[in-house]
Amino acid sequence: MNTPTENTHHCADGGEADKTLRLIASLPGPEGLEDRVKIALHGTSRRGRVLRWPAGSRLGGGGWIHGTVARCAAAAAIVFVVAGGGWGVYSRVQPTPAPRAIAMPHVTAPGGFSNAGAMRTPQTLSGTVLSHPVTGATKQNNATVNKDSRASQKKGQQKKGKIDQSRKVAN
Amino acid sequence: MSAGQTVLAGWMEIAPSAVRDETRQDVEEQNVAALVDQYASTLYRVAFSVLRNTADAEDAVQEAFLRVLRHRDTLDEVRDQRVWLIRIVWNIVLDRKRRAKTRPETDDIADLSRVLPANGLSAEQRTAAAQHHAHVLACVDQLPAKEREVLVLSAFEELSSVEIAGVLGITESSVRSRLFRARNLMANLLNHSRSLR
Repeated sequence: MNTPTENTHHCADGGEADKTLRLIASLPGPEGLEDRVKIALHGTSRRGRVLRWPAGSRLGGGGWIHGTVARCAAAAAIVFVVAGGGWGVYSRVQPTPAPRAIAMPHVTAPGGFSNAGAMRTPQTLSGTVLSHPVTGATKQNNATVNKDSRASQKKGQQKKGKIDQSRKVAN
Repeated sequence: MSAGQTVLAGWMEIAPSAVRDETRQDVEEQNVAALVDQYASTLYRVAFSVLRNTADAEDAVQEAFLRVLRHRDTLDEVRDQRVWLIRIVWNIVLDRKRRAKTRPETDDIADLSRVLPANGLSAEQRTAAAQHHAHVLACVDQLPAKEREVLVLSAFEELSSVEIAGVLGITESSVRSRLFRARNLMANLLNHSRSLR
């Protein structure tokens, strides 16, 4: 916090700054300032008129309506040209459909290996594999099985012969 | 008169609306010219208090009025034209000051000794006064921007604290508190520089 003496001193210094700033703030402007500014403004204003909307658009009976119509027409023409150009490009350049499969060319490297006409065979199922090796007991079993089968075959044939005879008799 | 000549005559005829536009434009230019007569000097002083160079200050005033000319259609909507104009030139000079390099104190002394009123002082006294003022201004430049801006604008007697608030776009209480801080800081800076000497 400032003591009273410090405050007085500060005020004096602040006053010193204010005095200087007031002196500068009260300095008169240079002579002819207004005229120079007016000349600059006049020149800019005239240049601005040259760059304004062409006078032809303001002629005729329409007034501002005529100008508005002309601007709308110009805007419509620009939109038409841009849209037409875009449509022309779009209609000429059709996107090609992407191929489903890519056919690879048959490439035979000169001097390289060939398949020598070999054809690939598909892998088939392997036959039944015996789990136990064939022994004498299994051979005997097989023989009895064969005998039984032969006997049953004979019986069947005899039966069949009897049926045929009975049919013949019946006929 | 053939039909073509009739159409041509109708086309070449100047519409009343065009004449009205011209008249309105002339009136607006006259309004801007009246503003120049009334406020050019004030704007110059505001510009000079920041830029401290006569040519730069004059350029800033011209630029400010060019901006006014561009927005002359909206002149009627401006409530306080003086504050509005000062605000325009204030923004211009701050922008220029930001872009320009810091001026050496010797330039300020030379410029000030040229523009300060003589008041019957000798050449030596004038140089000494210019040195003193340049030193004070160098201290002002050391202040923070917010405080400096308020202090500089408060030196213009024609600007009230409400108008300063309008120029800076802050509240009146902010103007007062910033001004108080600026004066304290200024006193400290001047004391410090004095003790160094």
